[in-house]
Amino acid sequence: MGGRILITGEGLVVNRGAREVLRGADFALREGEVVALVGPNGSGKTTLLESLAGLHSLAAGSVRLSLSTYSTVVRDSEGERGSVAGIGLTLQSDAVCGEETVAEHLGHAIRLAGRDDAADALASMLTDWGMSHRAGESVSQLSDGLRRRLAVLCGLAPAALSLEPTICLLDEPSEGLDEASRRLLIGWLRALTARGHGIVIATHDPELTSAADRIITVSGNGRLTSDPGAALGDAVEMVEPSAAQEASAFSEFVSWAWRIEKRNPLDTITRGTPALVALLLTYTMATDIPRTAENHDLLAALVLAPAFIAAVVAPALIKRLAEERSGDWWRAMIGPWSRATFSIMGASFILPIPLTYLAWYVLAGDIDSAVYDEVLRWLWLPPLAMIDISCAAAALHLMVADLRRASAAAGSLLLLVLVWPFLELTSALTTLMDTGMSFELAMGEPILDVLIAAGSAALIWAVAVIIPED
Amino acid sequence: MSTRQEAGFNLLAIGLASVSITALLGLFYAPSVSAESWESPEAYRILFLHVPFAWSSFLAFTLLFIGAVKWYAKRDENGWIWFQTGSDLGLVFGLGVITSGPIWGSAEWGTPWDWGDLRLNTFALLTAVALFLVLSRRSQADSQETRDTLSAVGLFGFALVPITALATTWYQERHPGVLIIDSEDSGLDPEIKMILLFGFLSMCVVFAGLVRLSNLRYRLAAELVGVKRNLDENSVAAPVELDSEVGS
Repeated sequence: MGGRILITGEGLVVNRGAREVLRGADFALREGEVVALVGPNGSGKTTLLESLAGLHSLAAGSVRLSLSTYSTVVRDSEGERGSVAGIGLTLQSDAVCGEETVAEHLGHAIRLAGRDDAADALASMLTDWGMSHRAGESVSQLSDGLRRRLAVLCGLAPAALSLEPTICLLDEPSEGLDEASRRLLIGWLRALTARGHGIVIATHDPELTSAADRIITVSGNGRLTSDPGAALGDAVEMVEPSAAQEASAFSEFVSWAWRIEKRNPLDTITRGTPALVALLLTYTMATDIPRTAENHDLLAALVLAPAFIAAVVAPALIKRLAEERSGDWWRAMIGPWSRATFSIMGASFILPIPLTYLAWYVLAGDIDSAVYDEVLRWLWLPPLAMIDISCAAAALHLMVADLRRASAAAGSLLLLVLVWPFLELTSALTTLMDTGMSFELAMGEPILDVLIAAGSAALIWAVAVIIPED
Repeated sequence: MSTRQEAGFNLLAIGLASVSITALLGLFYAPSVSAESWESPEAYRILFLHVPFAWSSFLAFTLLFIGAVKWYAKRDENGWIWFQTGSDLGLVFGLGVITSGPIWGSAEWGTPWDWGDLRLNTFALLTAVALFLVLSRRSQADSQETRDTLSAVGLFGFALVPITALATTWYQERHPGVLIIDSEDSGLDPEIKMILLFGFLSMCVVFAGLVRLSNLRYRLAAELVGVKRNLDENSVAAPVELDSEVGS
């Protein structure tokens, strides 16, 4: 094989806990070859493949991608990161969220690769893979086999539509596929290599292994040995490459998250329900409290409590990203800013301000009308900082979600740190009620209290976003 | 358009027209109530829609209950269709109740909601259960386990119906008593009673039209699932191999 090298892994050392899964592994994939990674369970095939996608931190070594369109360090042990948007990636899990439709998921994979997701190309691929009648159906309604077919197609589609040689990383692609789909997969692999693309497959399937040009055995000691493969199988007719277009992983992710929330407003309901219950309870508690200056601090806390509760609830996005590891797929595509993106998209932007106004209407009671008017004019300010608190809470929830048994971790204990910015906001609202708005930047003035609250929440967010990265 | 579909649309059109007439009768024909007995006497007119909405929502939850029982007892596809229709309509009519009620409450009580009133809160819970069922049906895979779980929730939801219906008799806080039953004692004006009954009958026609259309839709959806399953088998056609110079 004399093609250009598309991706390299040099001296890769990857640890999983105390165990060294890869020990100084060197790997290179050239244009026009299929490389099969084989080896016993737990040997490190998946770890190697996912390391090539930048999903694991490296104790040593680096992964470099050099396509004709761009080159980047995917990841290295010094902490440098890049995204692999543009390549095809199929993880061992299907990496799809049940709320997406088949066509939407495929469309994301294609657009992220910088290709035009023209309707005819999409339809042609779905027809080839026997899913055209399921195009508009949500993924949750598919059988396991069909979902796997979709995941594999999404891993192959970027290369199928690309004129320039690119790569596909496929983890156990034939697992759960029927005989006809497996034959089709092999036909596509051969057709893609004929077009110059490079493909890495981690597999236990002997039939698929026999289609490889090179077989790399990952042994239990974390070393790699390479042998020539049989390269069996014939290329089949495949969709023609489509036009290139600008791709932004960030905007794709935003549109994905927004579309799913619109389809199933789980985040709004999950946040809104406890907030309304809190409002109900505060309303009951506040009935006998005289609306006088001595009670302004208590009233401020009660008014801000529903928005605070809505802000710190675990975002529905985290569950969506955990579903079939779709978060890992997005993490590979977005690259180094994925955690920041997730935490911002997972925050509550819409609810804090209306909830705070609603709480004020419900709880203000017979408060002095001058106080009422002044507060009404500036009430948007504290909940604006609450959005920062929500970003920080989302980042903390994401950190906990990284744990292998996240559901067994008492993540709410970490959220206690956010009580501090909440108290600053309470202080700001109390001052607003006591003395009205002032633009003086002095301790105890509302503006400074809000800035301290926003700043401390931003600091917590930054710590929760940066520390878990390399 | 099939005959069933046509009948559904006709019923819906007649029902909506009658509900509009009820609203007009309530606004312009129904007599005023005593200004001494009510804080906001004119606001009572919204009850000509609120009460029929409430009764129709009970019908929807009854449909949901029957569907859930049929699904549990016989794994009957029709039972599941009824369940789906019942939860959809329970949500639609429930939302009608919990939006029209607080409008009246704001005018009459000075607050849109009374968290101490059993009927208000059980009704909100009932509507929340319907919302849960509708969202869950859409987001979960349509498997037997899903149907069993959601049917169980539906049965739990129906347990709230008699509690909600009888709450004003057992535990009356703020919500007025049962209007028609209490009318002989409370002296409900016969014209008001007549418009209320007309409103309820109109809403029943809307309900019947929606049930017919919804059942038809879910029946067709079930058929479509069967057709797609058949298509899934052998859906990957034998691929066309390329010429040897490309494939080799």
